[in-house]
Amino acid sequence: MASTTITPGHTVRKVRPIPQTRNRFELGMWLFMRYSGLALVFLALSHFWMQHVLIGTHEIEFAGTQLRWGITGQPVTVEQVIWRAYYAVMLVLAVAHGINGVRQVTYDYFGHRPAVYKGLMSVIVVIAVLISLGGMAALFMGAAAGGGEAALR
Amino acid sequence: MLNPLITTARESLRYKGSGQVLWLLHRISGLGVVIFLGTHIFGMSMAAFNPPLHDAMLAVYKTPLFSIGEIALAACLVFHAVNGTRIAILELRPSLWEKQQVATRWSIIITLILLAPTIIIMAYKSISYYATHGLR
Repeated sequence: MASTTITPGHTVRKVRPIPQTRNRFELGMWLFMRYSGLALVFLALSHFWMQHVLIGTHEIEFAGTQLRWGITGQPVTVEQVIWRAYYAVMLVLAVAHGINGVRQVTYDYFGHRPAVYKGLMSVIVVIAVLISLGGMAALFMGAAAGGGEAALR
Repeated sequence: MLNPLITTARESLRYKGSGQVLWLLHRISGLGVVIFLGTHIFGMSMAAFNPPLHDAMLAVYKTPLFSIGEIALAACLVFHAVNGTRIAILELRPSLWEKQQVATRWSIIITLILLAPTIIIMAYKSISYYATHGLR
């Protein structure tokens, strides 16, 4: 932001307009936040109320998760495919929604220091992508990864 | 680092009343959920890649400190969902902008209505679990 002094005590700031591509990206993310948010209201709340409240965190066991995801090494059932799809869609939407939220917060506090902002965002995006890929692999390749035979007990 | 946060907190409470407070709560609850989300996805993935580590994580989930944090998580999640719905509806339907004050009030009321039974069930289950299994 360049500033020019016209009369003493009056500073006029010339704000550089946002580039067209960045503008389109921000509009896309704005819409994505609304629609993914509305989907996540149902996905995240249903998940939380099922697993954390109705079943209850204290009743969650390794064996139950193994059965629900179908990573026991047995042939996968239709029910397990539906659970995997449910978790996969929720994972992608939640992580993307979360990253964009964190991006906006980071921009609010570090937007005036582009190097810090870009550095922080790179680290956050890399961590988020790794965690998501790990989650996807656990859902769809869990049995091959050793979640079945090499189980605890 | 901390100064902008303090300014944000003070100015949000002071500046334009309820809408600003909801904005701040939306931000805090969102950050709360996203921090748990990262560790939760990682911990659950370990069910496939490292069952002993996954079991260690489940053991942490069954401690009193985590149970308290989990109730805070429920509050963050439900508020963020309800308030996010308010934001989405208002921004996609500008004709409703006259009713912002009403929307703000209902955002809080619906959050409390959904949260009350959730917290009661979670607290009841936690207390009965620690009563039989003891504190670890």
